[in-house]
Amino acid sequence: MDFELDDEQVELQRVVRDIATRECPPALVRAVVAGDDDAAGLWKTLVELDWPALTVPADDGGMGMSAVELVIALEELGRVADPTPFLATTSQYVPLVRACAPAGARRELLGAVCSGGTGTAAFAADAVRARRDGDGWVLAGVARHVVDGDRADELAVVASTGDGEGVFVVPAAAVEATRTPTFDAAFHLADLTLDEVRVGDERAFARPAVAAEVGRARDEAVAGLAAEMVGASQRILELVLEHVKERKQFGVPIGSFQAVKHMAVDMYVAIERARALCHFAGLAIAEDDTRRGLAASMAKAAAGDCQRLVTRHGVQLFGGLGFTWENDLQIYVRRAKVGEPLLGTSSEHRARAARRVLAGRRPTEAV
Amino acid sequence: MRLRFDEQTEAFRHEFAVWLDAHAPDDATALSERPRSTAHVPDWARDWQRSLFDAGWLVPGNPPEHGGRNASLLEVFVHQEELSRRHIYPSYNPQGLTIIAPSLLAFGTEEQKRRWAVPILRAEITAALGMSEPDAGSDLAGLRTRAVLDGDRFVVNGQKVWTSGAHDADIILAFVRTDPDAPKHKGLSCLVIPTDSPGLTRRPFGSIVGPDDLDFNEVFFDDVAVPAGNLIGELHQGWQVATGSLGHERAMLWLGFASRLDDLVRHGGDEIVARGLADDPLVLDWFGNLVVDAHALRLLGYRTLAKARRGVEATEQSILKLFGSEAAQAATLAMLETLGADGLDPDRRSAPLDPLHEEGFTASWWERYLRSFAGTIAGGTSQIQRNIIAERVLGLPR
Repeated sequence: MDFELDDEQVELQRVVRDIATRECPPALVRAVVAGDDDAAGLWKTLVELDWPALTVPADDGGMGMSAVELVIALEELGRVADPTPFLATTSQYVPLVRACAPAGARRELLGAVCSGGTGTAAFAADAVRARRDGDGWVLAGVARHVVDGDRADELAVVASTGDGEGVFVVPAAAVEATRTPTFDAAFHLADLTLDEVRVGDERAFARPAVAAEVGRARDEAVAGLAAEMVGASQRILELVLEHVKERKQFGVPIGSFQAVKHMAVDMYVAIERARALCHFAGLAIAEDDTRRGLAASMAKAAAGDCQRLVTRHGVQLFGGLGFTWENDLQIYVRRAKVGEPLLGTSSEHRARAARRVLAGRRPTEAV
Repeated sequence: MRLRFDEQTEAFRHEFAVWLDAHAPDDATALSERPRSTAHVPDWARDWQRSLFDAGWLVPGNPPEHGGRNASLLEVFVHQEELSRRHIYPSYNPQGLTIIAPSLLAFGTEEQKRRWAVPILRAEITAALGMSEPDAGSDLAGLRTRAVLDGDRFVVNGQKVWTSGAHDADIILAFVRTDPDAPKHKGLSCLVIPTDSPGLTRRPFGSIVGPDDLDFNEVFFDDVAVPAGNLIGELHQGWQVATGSLGHERAMLWLGFASRLDDLVRHGGDEIVARGLADDPLVLDWFGNLVVDAHALRLLGYRTLAKARRGVEATEQSILKLFGSEAAQAATLAMLETLGADGLDPDRRSAPLDPLHEEGFTASWWERYLRSFAGTIAGGTSQIQRNIIAERVLGLPR
C-alpha cells in the first residue's frame, strides 16, 4: 500500500492548517462559548474558500475531492475547535445526499451547500418512522443528539420505512429542534422532534438499494468525526509540549523528567495510531474498498482511545495551570471528548471491528 | 495515497510468489529436523537458504554475488512481506542474515566479505552477535570486554551475555574495548571471533520459558587470540559498526511485529470462535483493540516505507517497535486470561504447528506471553524507546 499523502494533499493540509489557525484562534472559540459571537463570520470565510463543498462532485458545483481530503481538512478544523456547522455539513449531510439522492435532487441540494447552505444528518432509523401517504411520506419520531440539528438549514433524516430505510431531506422549519447542553458549548447538538412531518417524493430517497448507500455515508460521517477528535488531540499535545519545555521546576524544564517524557510519547503514539486509521478510512471510503466499514470503525475506536489518553495526560501534565478556565487547554479537551459518545462509542466500534473480523473466522456450520 | 503498490512492484511480488510455490521446503522436510537455536541450522534449512541465495531471492536488494538482484526498496519490502505472510524464514540464523552479514558487507574488506559475509549468506557458517555484557545492556557503549593489539593479533578478555545462538555459531561478531582511555563511544572496535578459538567458553542458559529453551549464552573470553585481520572497520571505530548493526535490526523490525499481530488476530480469533466467545462483550473489546492495533501498525509502517523511498527520514519509524511490541504483549496476555484455567497448561498449543514457522509462535499462550517480552526488552527496551522518541521526535530536553 502506498500510504503517504501526495503533494496536493500535503498542500491542502498546510493551507487548511494555516487558515484555520489564523481565522479560528482560541479567542473566537471563547467568544462563541460566551455567546458574543455566532461563528457566522468564520463560516462565511470557509464558504468563500469553497471548503464546505470539498466533496461535492464537480458536476454539482463542488470541489470534487475524496474522503481522504475530507479527513485531512476535518483534522485541521478539529485542531482549532471549529465552532461552525462544517463537520455536520461536510461529513454527514453531503455524503448522505451525494450517495442517496438522484441527480436532479442532488444537484439542487448540494448546490445550496456550495453557496453557503448548511445541513446535517440524523441516523435515526431506530427512532423515526416514515410511512407512505399519497404521493409523499410522513415522518414521526424523535432523533436524539443530532450534530448541528438546531442550526442546520437542511436535515437529512435516515428513517425506517417498514421494509427498509429511507433518507428524507427536511427543512429546519418543519422540525422542532431543541439544543441539548454539552460541556463543549462551541459544539451544537440537538434533539429533533418530527411530528407528522410531510416530505414530498422529490426529497425522499427510499429505493431498495438506499440502505447500502446510507451505510457508505455513515462510514464517512464516522471517519469525519474521528478526524476531528484527532485534530483536537493533536492541539493538546502541541500545547503540552510547549508547556513542558518551558515550565521549570527544580531548576530544569519538567520535560526533561522521564515520567513526563513517557506520558508525552504515549500521547504521540495514540495520535499517530488514530490519525493513520482516519487516513485509511478516508482511503477505503474513497476507493469503496471492502474494508470500508471496518476502517471507519477502527478510526472511531482509535480516536476514542486517543482522546481518552491525550486529554487525561494533557490535563495532568499541565498541573495546576491546566486546571484553569484561562488556559486554552480546556477548549481542546472539550472538543476532543465531545465526539466520543456520538455515532457509536469507541467500545461499540471496537466490538464492531472485532465482529467483522471474527465473522470471517466462524466455523462454516455456525454461519 | 492508494491501497496497492504500483504494477511493477506487484509484478515483482508475483514473480517471487511463483518461485516460492515451486521451491519452498515441504512440510515433511521442515519437520525432519527442528532448529534448536538461532544459530543451529539443519541441513535442509541450509539447502533452502542456499537456493534462495543462488536464485537472487535471499537479499533481493543486494547484487547477485551477494544473494540478490539489485531490487528497489519497495521490491525488497514486498519480498519481506510475502515471506512474512507465508511464515517462511529465509534463514534460520536470522541475526547472521539481517545484522552480521550486512555489517560485514558495509564495513568489511573484500577479503572479509569473501571469507565471512558470503558464507553466512550461503548458510555455510552461522554467526552470533556479541554486544550485551553483564554491565552493558541499554548502556551498550559502556561495554568492558578488552582487546589489546599485540603484534598481528588482538588478545581478548572479558564476558558477553545474551549472545543468542553462540553455542551453535561458528563465529561471533563481537564489540570490544580497544582504547580504555577514550570517551566510551570512541574506544570500541569490532572483531570477528571464531567460536573454536582457544580460551573462548560458551555457556548456554535457559530462558524464562524453561531450562531446556537454550538460545542465550554467556560467552567468556580468557586471553583469546584473534588475528588482527579480523578487525571489522577501523580500529576504535566500532561504534559506527554497532549503530549500523542496530540500524539494520530496527529497519526490519516492524514487519515482524506486524506479522505477529496478524498471527494474534488469526490464532486468537480461531480460539475465540472455537470457545463460543465471539459474542462476549469483554472479549470483543480486547480483540477489537487488537484488530485496531494490527491495522494501525501496518499503516504506520507503510507510511515509513513511502517516506524512506523518497529518502525522507520518517521520525515515526521510532514508534513502530515500541507500539508493535507493546500491542502484541497486551493482546497475548488478554488471550491467555480469556482461556481461563485452560491457559495454565504450558503444553496446550495456541495454533496448529506450522512447519516453517518458529515454534514459539504456535506454542502455548503462556509461552507466547513470556516471549512477548523479547519485543519490549531486546533491541532497546520500551523505556529507552520512549526516551529516544521524546528527545528526537518531540524535542524534549535530555
